[in-house]
Amino acid sequence: MAVIEQVLFPNTFGMELIYSFVIIVCSLLVYFSTKKMYDLSKYQGIKYFRMSFLFFAIAYFFKSFISFLFLILEIHEILEFSTLFLGVLTLFFFMYASTMAIFYLLYSVVWKDFKEKRFTIPLIHILVLVISALSIAIREVKILLGLQIFIFLFIAIYNHFHIKKLKGSKKPGHLHMIYLILFVFWMLNLADLLISGFNPILEILISMVSIGLFLVILYKVVKNVGSS
Amino acid sequence: MRKRDKLEIMRDILKVIKENHMHIKMTPLLRKSNLSSKRFADYRAELLQKELIEEREERKTGKQIFLTSKGMEFLEKYKAIINFVNEFEL
Repeated sequence: MAVIEQVLFPNTFGMELIYSFVIIVCSLLVYFSTKKMYDLSKYQGIKYFRMSFLFFAIAYFFKSFISFLFLILEIHEILEFSTLFLGVLTLFFFMYASTMAIFYLLYSVVWKDFKEKRFTIPLIHILVLVISALSIAIREVKILLGLQIFIFLFIAIYNHFHIKKLKGSKKPGHLHMIYLILFVFWMLNLADLLISGFNPILEILISMVSIGLFLVILYKVVKNVGSS
Repeated sequence: MRKRDKLEIMRDILKVIKENHMHIKMTPLLRKSNLSSKRFADYRAELLQKELIEEREERKTGKQIFLTSKGMEFLEKYKAIINFVNEFEL
């Protein structure tokens, strides 16, 4: 009975499911609608951009799956959840996918500035796998939050200097700002999942803004893909 | 003169082949592409690997480079690809 109540009651699992579903669909639409462009050009920037949204879809899938397990197993704390085998497994995939999504989105913009490209991606995969495993092994999810804050700060600082470098007719794109807001709200999403006792109104606000950001990006993608 | 980026050079090479009735010999293509021999060889290998062009031995004219249907599609979608890359600053 309690399960049914929670599924039907807005602002809980039902809301979470709808919210994740919309974002997963948006992310997969971005990924699949840009496939043709990538197949033709094999352009690295498009590849990293697509990979980012594939990982966002995977991350949101695991986020809603974790919420589902919380509901079914009647768990309220992430630390309690991480003592279960299924909990460890889903948390690990969620942490890995979410960090890779953020990384790929960042890398899609800055990849041209890196001279050595062959080992960057495999190294990042290994690093993120190790950090995800480590944060679960020592049961300290704040390590992962710390890593994401570090990536965010890197983006913000890079963004600042990138805009400063642009001269004359080359205006800075507003997309950098959308990405920054996306990162902020992604971290709030993470905090919502990993830290218990989040304000329900704040949860709804995070969900709505996140959906809005993904819809803006999807609109921009469809507009460009549709014109081809 | 503005430096051409990779996608632009690929477009230019494919365009030369298209405007030459979809096939051309190596030497005139190298000349019309405005690239050094080394860079041209790199691009030729990449375009072949991406199946945007193909090389065939013709009985009368010898070895020629042909534009594939995928190459033709690249030319048609080039503007959209560039717009997309610029819009998302990729």
